[in-house]
Amino acid sequence: MNKLKLIIQHEYMTIVGKKSFIIMTLLIPFLIILVGCIPVLLAYINNSADTSVTRIAVIDESNQFGAAFKNSTNYNFVVMNGDQSFNPHEFYQKAGDSLDAIVVIPADVLNTQQATIYSENAIDNSTIGYLTSCLNDTLASAKIASFNDPELQSKIEQSQVNASIKSIKWDETGKEQEQSAEIASVLGMILAFLTYTFVLSYGAMIMNSVIEEKTNRIVEVIVSSCRPMELMMGKIIGVGLVGLTQFAIWVVLLGIAGSVLGMLGLGAGAVASPEAMTAGMNLPQGSVDTELSGIISALTSINYVSLLGNFVIYFIGGYLLYASLFAGFGSAVDQASDSSQFTMPIILIMVVALYAGVACIENPSGPMAVWCSIIPFTSPIVMMVRLPFDVPWWQLLLSIALLYATALLCIWISARIYRTGILLYGKKRSLKEVVKWIK
Amino acid sequence: MNFIDVNSVVKQYDGHLALDHVDLHVPQGCIYGLLGPNGAGKTSLIRIINRITRADSGTVLLNGREMVQSDIANIGYLPEERGLYKKLKVGDEIVYLAQLKGMPKRLAVSEMEKWLQRFDLTEWKGRKVEELSKGMQQKVQFITTVIHRPQLLIFDEPFSGFDPVNAEQLKREIMQLCNEGATILFSTHNMASVEEICEQITLINHSRVVLEGRVDDIKQQHKKNLFVVNVKGGKAIDPCDNLFEIVPSHEHSGTLIKLNKGVTLHDTIAYLNDHYTLTGITEQLPSMHEIFIETVQG
Repeated sequence: MNKLKLIIQHEYMTIVGKKSFIIMTLLIPFLIILVGCIPVLLAYINNSADTSVTRIAVIDESNQFGAAFKNSTNYNFVVMNGDQSFNPHEFYQKAGDSLDAIVVIPADVLNTQQATIYSENAIDNSTIGYLTSCLNDTLASAKIASFNDPELQSKIEQSQVNASIKSIKWDETGKEQEQSAEIASVLGMILAFLTYTFVLSYGAMIMNSVIEEKTNRIVEVIVSSCRPMELMMGKIIGVGLVGLTQFAIWVVLLGIAGSVLGMLGLGAGAVASPEAMTAGMNLPQGSVDTELSGIISALTSINYVSLLGNFVIYFIGGYLLYASLFAGFGSAVDQASDSSQFTMPIILIMVVALYAGVACIENPSGPMAVWCSIIPFTSPIVMMVRLPFDVPWWQLLLSIALLYATALLCIWISARIYRTGILLYGKKRSLKEVVKWIK
Repeated sequence: MNFIDVNSVVKQYDGHLALDHVDLHVPQGCIYGLLGPNGAGKTSLIRIINRITRADSGTVLLNGREMVQSDIANIGYLPEERGLYKKLKVGDEIVYLAQLKGMPKRLAVSEMEKWLQRFDLTEWKGRKVEELSKGMQQKVQFITTVIHRPQLLIFDEPFSGFDPVNAEQLKREIMQLCNEGATILFSTHNMASVEEICEQITLINHSRVVLEGRVDDIKQQHKKNLFVVNVKGGKAIDPCDNLFEIVPSHEHSGTLIKLNKGVTLHDTIAYLNDHYTLTGITEQLPSMHEIFIETVQG
């Protein structure tokens, strides 16, 4: 027992003491935020960098809708009346470099609802979008005006609806709690991804560590001081504790970031930002307020203690299961490059579990979700998706019991592979041969 | 009394017989050579004594009683394929491995300081193992083997990778450990070192013990009636069909003769005295190297 503790301590300190661990632990949350921000940032750069002006001649054969197109920072329109004898190509040639495109509004545009744009260059989607929205607005106004009802416009505006379903959940005491399926799904998916990436990356870390000990031959010295099982378990537990430490640091960082944001953002933001947002998004202020408070109330309605507790239970179970397999199979190879034949099946199972998790978002209580959250190899990931949606306790208990029983079985199998594998060098081992070692 | 008694140990791997009813009896406080060509089964036997693997049948007794897991704290093992954690600092590595052998941390630290000083490695204590030269790494490995003062030391090719100066220091340390009461099992191909430091040997070939006993006795058993004869003036000696033949050799300062079967040394000296002015005659015992090759090649 003492030796196991010593090995756990050694494995833990070897990783946690590394500069790369400290840097990555602190950096990864920022990297994730950065990756999330990149699309927004790119869109911003794209918009702000585009200062070129597209010059478009509008040939209005209807003599009515030429004014539909408003000049903007990116578009400059010149409106001309025309008729059906107009030849756009000739006009374009004559105009030379002073023109980028020609829009022709046909005489019966109100009926056909179609205009045409000509150019020698490809017309981008944002230009088409801008022209279409201008034309839509103008044609719609013209149609409304054709009814000769001065109040029609305001009637139409008043009849615009934006309905939503509010989801209320009763807790044990019958108290009402607002919940949001989207937020629960997002939360579940985040936990599933966390489990997937953690188990995979720490599993690979264990495998590399086993191979490294074998390659530099220290393993023979170590197993002359302790049992192979102690070494393997010490490694698995030590590395697992590193994972939990990293997770705990992230939870604390998230908590700090949340409370800082809460103090800075929500104090002032609850009043100021919805206004700013409504101004920018042309939404009625009330709806943003409701949405924001809806998110906050949905977030607060989740039972974090049980969620985190279950996450840790599943994380440990799933980790033990997969990490022991990584350790066992790692011992069967001499170098990391030979390990793919053994890691491939493990990774495939994990990918299947992740896909099952994604598929279960749609129906977290459906038969597939229930089965996949009970089968031990997929349950650590799929159950994460189901957890925010209150899983029946018997399913939870059955799933946890099966997961831990399978994890113990995997540890037993891996230990048998490990004690033989670590001392064999040279020849590349086949899966069949490795299975023989279990007997 | 024997410190280790290996009795009729059998070990089989995948249909290959690695040890076939092997016996080994190592007396307390002895430097014992375990010899044999590559693949003979030495490492298999060492791993069984170390409890890294189990024998299929047979027993291993330590101090007259069956070995148990806790006995490994009393063994120091230097494997042929050396291995250390390359990224660990020298001091931390030695202390960790000593603790794994059951040494309390405080004692491990103070012993580590002593041994580093003894091997002139104190200034390297805080450096990573990978920064050390191969020779220095070997010394660190040696320290990790002996730091917990085990009663049984198993050295597998201890001198490989050492230059002559360091090999000499290592030899002195091994002798010193033996004088302090440790029993040493010494596996090697280096026959010169066997002659120099081993009192007894066991030679394994094709998974079986083919030769065992005291080094001196084995040499006597394998002697071939060879003598180096020196006569006045360094004159060459002519063969004498009744008594001896001349063995061509450039390694000796005199003439190498081989006595015929049944001929006594007394008769030979009498003959030589009659015909030459004899200045010296020395018996030429076979080296362990020759005995090894002769035994292994059958």
